Amino acid sequence: MTYEAFLDRAPLVVTAALTGGVHGKEANPNVPETPEEIGEAAGAVEAAGASVVHLHARRPNGERSFATERFQEIDDAVRRHTDDVIIQHSTGGTGAPDADRHRPLRTDPPPEMASLDMGPLNRYDHLTSENTRALVDSLHAEMVDRGIKPELEVFNDGHRNEVYGLLERRDLADPVYATLIFGPGTLTRPRPENFLTAISDLPVGAQFNTLGFGRHQLPFATMGILFGGHVRVGLEDNVYYDRGELAESNAQLVERVVRVADELGRPVATTDEAREILGLSE
Amino acid sequence: MGCPYLAYRETGDEQSFDEARAFCTVVDEFVQPMRADICNDRYELAHERHCEIYRAHEGTGEEGSADT
Repeated sequence: MTYEAFLDRAPLVVTAALTGGVHGKEANPNVPETPEEIGEAAGAVEAAGASVVHLHARRPNGERSFATERFQEIDDAVRRHTDDVIIQHSTGGTGAPDADRHRPLRTDPPPEMASLDMGPLNRYDHLTSENTRALVDSLHAEMVDRGIKPELEVFNDGHRNEVYGLLERRDLADPVYATLIFGPGTLTRPRPENFLTAISDLPVGAQFNTLGFGRHQLPFATMGILFGGHVRVGLEDNVYYDRGELAESNAQLVERVVRVADELGRPVATTDEAREILGLSE
Repeated sequence: MGCPYLAYRETGDEQSFDEARAFCTVVDEFVQPMRADICNDRYELAHERHCEIYRAHEGTGEEGSADT
């Protein structure tokens, strides 16, 4: 994916990360947490132009759940509120046993996509999300068994090495789909030159998704649009619409990035087009 | 055994919720769901090792003590 893809008006896949597992309503009361709230949010972002919804599961009090049953409740709600959106489950989690990290893959039907974290990242002062290669391989093996497309989450530059290592160890179905993540801490520093380096150092034929945390969400989404990639926005990654102004909804963030794409002349992919781009329609 | 400073409250910190949520009585605020995992010693987490708020409050979180 390059600037040529932008010039060629390649369709843009918009992913909405609706809720996440780190913060919740204490950070922004508009973060959806219950299955019904997440389902309603999925319907709204689909109407706004998102073709993929990235999902985490929550307990009734907002805390993280890895339970297959809870993901099932969420998927059922999402399907009630949407027409044809692509469901992507998170398999991420700090401190969670490896067995729990597999549980989001076991809904019926399985999600079409699931995240696959490429390596460690720091949390707070004393925690690391380890994401060992052994776990990456076991999650990938189950994704292959269940026909789930992995979304490779590249939190920093070293994780691009891990993408190449994964390609050496395992057969990944084309196209490789990698989300490049920019922000504070262990993430790649959110600077335009780092974005250009990252997109030029992906495997041949890879598709990339662009994720900027917090105030970097909109500028990095815009760069993703300009350089022929895809974009992820949503309250998981950014609870604000503008400085000091909480976002009203996930849909509000999707609507803005769709307006930017429209102004720049990049068409937003339908769900059918997204499935074709991501290799889900075969 | 969870953190002794964890409470579940429906109101506080100028916020209210229908379902009681994790509240840190040290900083007098509702906490992120992921921090609640630490408060509850859920998964492989432990508040005495992993919560900088608890460690600072108990005087066990010395700065500059990281292993090298």
